[in-house]
Amino acid sequence: MIVAAGAGAVSASPLFRRLLSGGSAEAASKAEDARILQLVLQLEYTQVAFYQQALRDAGLGGELREFARTALGHERKHLAVITQALGAKAGPKPTFAFGARTRSPDAFRKTAIELEDIAVAGYNGQATNLTKGTLAAAAEIVSVEARHAAWVRALGGAVAAPDPVDEPMTAAQVVAGLQKIGLRTS
Amino acid sequence: MGGETTFNRFLATVDRDGALEEAGAELELAFSRRRLLGLTAAGAGAVLLARAGVGRAAAAPSATDISILNYALVLEYLQASFYTEAERSGALSGKTAQAAQVVGATERAHVKAFLKLLGSKAVKRPSFDFQGVTEEQRAFLRTAVAFEDLAVAAYKGQAPKLRSDAVLAAAVGIHSVEARHAAWMRQLFGITPAVHAFDQPASRGQINQIVASTHFVVAHPNMKGTAKPQYTG
Repeated sequence: MIVAAGAGAVSASPLFRRLLSGGSAEAASKAEDARILQLVLQLEYTQVAFYQQALRDAGLGGELREFARTALGHERKHLAVITQALGAKAGPKPTFAFGARTRSPDAFRKTAIELEDIAVAGYNGQATNLTKGTLAAAAEIVSVEARHAAWVRALGGAVAAPDPVDEPMTAAQVVAGLQKIGLRTS
Repeated sequence: MGGETTFNRFLATVDRDGALEEAGAELELAFSRRRLLGLTAAGAGAVLLARAGVGRAAAAPSATDISILNYALVLEYLQASFYTEAERSGALSGKTAQAAQVVGATERAHVKAFLKLLGSKAVKRPSFDFQGVTEEQRAFLRTAVAFEDLAVAAYKGQAPKLRSDAVLAAAVGIHSVEARHAAWMRQLFGITPAVHAFDQPASRGQINQIVASTHFVVAHPNMKGTAKPQYTG
């Protein structure tokens, strides 16, 4: 089950309609993999755009800047493999409006924690819906997102791994979370 | 490679009953000492168990899943004992001491959850000899980085092999927590928390070989009364 039925908060772009349609308790399949890849494509697009803009506008310095540069490099590679896996089915690059979230180091750090936590929960939430081969590939990405989340938490002096187990998110929750941060559709 | 390592010998030879009880009592003791961020160990265990379908009349795990869960349990025993011993040694300070406390409590919660899940099928806790690395902060951090990176690779290697969706859902939720720990320990040690864009998995054989090479696992636990005391702090 990749989404809760009737995700009201989700905007009605064709991409999201396709993404969120159907899919209750579907067994893992190639088609289901492709639908899930569309979700994580949105995740990775959002992360790339967020780090790019923050590096330009947030006045980042020191280790926080190093974190942003490192994370951006990783997210670009994630985006590349997901785009490649989807081929012609990959949706268009969305637009973004991050507002104040990319305009100060503090706002950047808080948003980065939120965004990386959404990424971890989003990938984890799809684990049981993926074919085993795609699951293995996704597992190589999700732990890197978790490393980012812990790193940026530690940079703020916070407890870097507060929970004993990471709770998953549904696709609808992921999309709502990304939209709250600044994902807009064209 | 890997087949007849210390770890595998241990897994093959342990006597299960009794040790379970002993481990459980020790964990209760460890946890009654403190609450962690408002979340008790029992609470953490309950979350994991709920995720794994325990208590909802779930089907018993398959033989494959039991084998993988026991393998994960031993890695969790290793980590939990390591952090507990480091905390007791009193050698850690500042942010490192705080991290060891938080991460240790989490690893103990993982052990507890796996013990509940496996019931009488759970393997016994081995004896560990950490050879002094829990008694000095830099040595502790270096070892913690190695353990956490190892745990990430181990869970990643096994996740696609799990049969039960409920067990898989719990395992991925632990896998990403181990990655958070790895990054945290790396940051405290002063090295890059996230080196690569893609974390690679490791097979059981690879993991066993690495763990065996540390000589941290005592091959025949609890066989002699003359064994070195486990906690030296």
